[in-house]
Amino acid sequence: MSAPNDLKRFAYAERVIHWVAGLSFLFLLMTGLAFSHPRLFWITSLVGGGSTARFLHPWMGTLFTGSMVVMFFTWAKEMSIQDGDRAWLKSIKHYAVHDKDNVPPAGKYNGGQKLFFWSMAILGVAYIVTGIPMWMPGGFLGVGPFYGGVVNSMRLVHYLSTVFGGLLLIVHVYLGTIAYPGTLGGMLHGTVTNAWAKLHHPLWHKDQSG
Amino acid sequence: MPQDRGVTQSGLAIRRMSASSEPPPSPNVRTGPEYAKLIDISRCIGCKGCEVACKEWNELGIEPTENFGSMQSHRDLGPDTWLLMRFNEIEVGGDLQWLIKKDACLHCEEPGCLYACPSPGAIVQYENGIVDFNHDSCIGCQLCVSGCPFDIPRFNPATRKVYKCNMCVDRVEAGLEPACVKTCPTNAISWGTKEDMVTLAEQKVERLQARGFDNATLYDPAGVGGTHMMYVVPHGDQLGEYDLPADPKASPGALAALGGLRKLGASALGLGILGTALHYLGFGPQEPGAAEVPSNGVGGGTAPMSAGGESRPTVESQATGESSPTVPSPPTGETPPTGDPTGSTEG
Ligand code: HEM
Ligand code: SF4
Ligand code: SF4
Repeated sequence: MSAPNDLKRFAYAERVIHWVAGLSFLFLLMTGLAFSHPRLFWITSLVGGGSTARFLHPWMGTLFTGSMVVMFFTWAKEMSIQDGDRAWLKSIKHYAVHDKDNVPPAGKYNGGQKLFFWSMAILGVAYIVTGIPMWMPGGFLGVGPFYGGVVNSMRLVHYLSTVFGGLLLIVHVYLGTIAYPGTLGGMLHGTVTNAWAKLHHPLWHKDQSG
Repeated sequence: MPQDRGVTQSGLAIRRMSASSEPPPSPNVRTGPEYAKLIDISRCIGCKGCEVACKEWNELGIEPTENFGSMQSHRDLGPDTWLLMRFNEIEVGGDLQWLIKKDACLHCEEPGCLYACPSPGAIVQYENGIVDFNHDSCIGCQLCVSGCPFDIPRFNPATRKVYKCNMCVDRVEAGLEPACVKTCPTNAISWGTKEDMVTLAEQKVERLQARGFDNATLYDPAGVGGTHMMYVVPHGDQLGEYDLPADPKASPGALAALGGLRKLGASALGLGILGTALHYLGFGPQEPGAAEVPSNGVGGGTAPMSAGGESRPTVESQATGESSPTVPSPPTGETPPTGDPTGSTEG
């Protein structure tokens, strides 16, 4: 699928870990929203019904958390936010309207992608910390029980984090697929074209071909 | 007692239903009377006959008892123990007193369990006031346990369902009183319409006060809209000692906030998707210019969809079709999904 002078963007391991996180998160988002609102409860029927959804949700959450830990250590260094990224973030409204001339050139990841990475890392912690008391309200490893106020407030924080993470995911998926053709291929088979790199990540492109 | 009260079939018309935006589907148009059970604690001798009757009628399994230095049969309620006589031992004026509490579901008018439940129809409240769990629909999340201000429902890990007193709804439907009412040897438990029970309770409280129980009171907490199991409490100033919350709330802070926010949250996600769609319509895909990749021919060679059409135009001309050097606002002026304003785009 890739032409000879395409650029390698994501290693096999990076792609696997990304899709484990991505697909498990999608499952969590859908089933979680089903629990959150009566009108969305029908979503549970897609995964085998309410009880099955309730059973699988925390285990998927465990998988997601595990993949996020691996992703974190794989990418944290590359994702550190530099001055260039701060400048990029300041011009995000130009970026949003495809006004490229007023957006500082990005490296391998732009400021928005880095911010997304860090937001997801923080949200990932929020999900697991608030999720465990709801998963095992009777307590675990001698801690607990959590019935009552603890579970109820965890539920609120878990929900707010979900809405936030969901919004981020919508933007992420949009940009990674239809908004920027050629991007999804990078995460699927690892390579992107020169033209894609030049357009979206000029500094990285220079680095790779220089 | 019930027989001369002319208790009729109440039917099982449903008044409230968990996790449901629609009005409850009533299987029955009849609205029978609203019932209540009244526990006169001052008449209870602690025989636990009601516990046994509950187990028998509802065919509940055995949960082993244990001697932990109390007259109480079990330490706690359980999935197979829907009723527990709690023997709270305290000293009143140098005298040992048992402040007995018949611990079971109070069948709240505003049931916190029902409001907390995410599964449509797993908890229902019938027109007759009884709050019942429908185990077919229960998904075993246990959120009702946290939603109940009285800590009543209990989870069975084997069945992954939650259980509690159902006020012998099958008996009530057939015009009978609950099993505990029937069995009580001292008439400490009365059964009838909510109205009648409140009247009866007021008389009992008056009599108690005349006998010197100055703080005698009726426990029918307003924070949950009143209950369908009420207590006549001799020492009304010691509710805490009885293990009765002084001011229970049907929707404690976090749950009330969640109830208010969840419409907002779902709408926000819907708007997010709409926002990306509008952004796409306004700005289109950003394709790498075809001319710049001699080796590859087509710009988005690995793109999942070729959104550009037959001839691949350059980014600028495609986005707007007007090919002006500055980028105009999209026709709708929608907020992009990042939440940042796009309105001001001075190039
Ligand atoms: C399931 C839908 C998802 C799709 C279609 C998707 C797609 C993509 C694509 C195409 C890229 C490559 C971007 C580039 O080359 O610059 C990417 C990167 C990335 N993805 Fe996803 N992703 C999804 C879900 C997720 C989830 C749930 C997370 C986090 C938990 C996540 C975290 C990341 C991160 C941190 C990167 C690198 C930085 C970035 O591009 O923002 N992805 N994703
Ligand atoms: S006492 Fe608890 S379980 Fe019973 S109706 Fe009230 S909130 Fe529900
Ligand atoms: S355990 Fe069952 S009844 Fe209780 S909140 Fe969950 S679904 Fe509803």
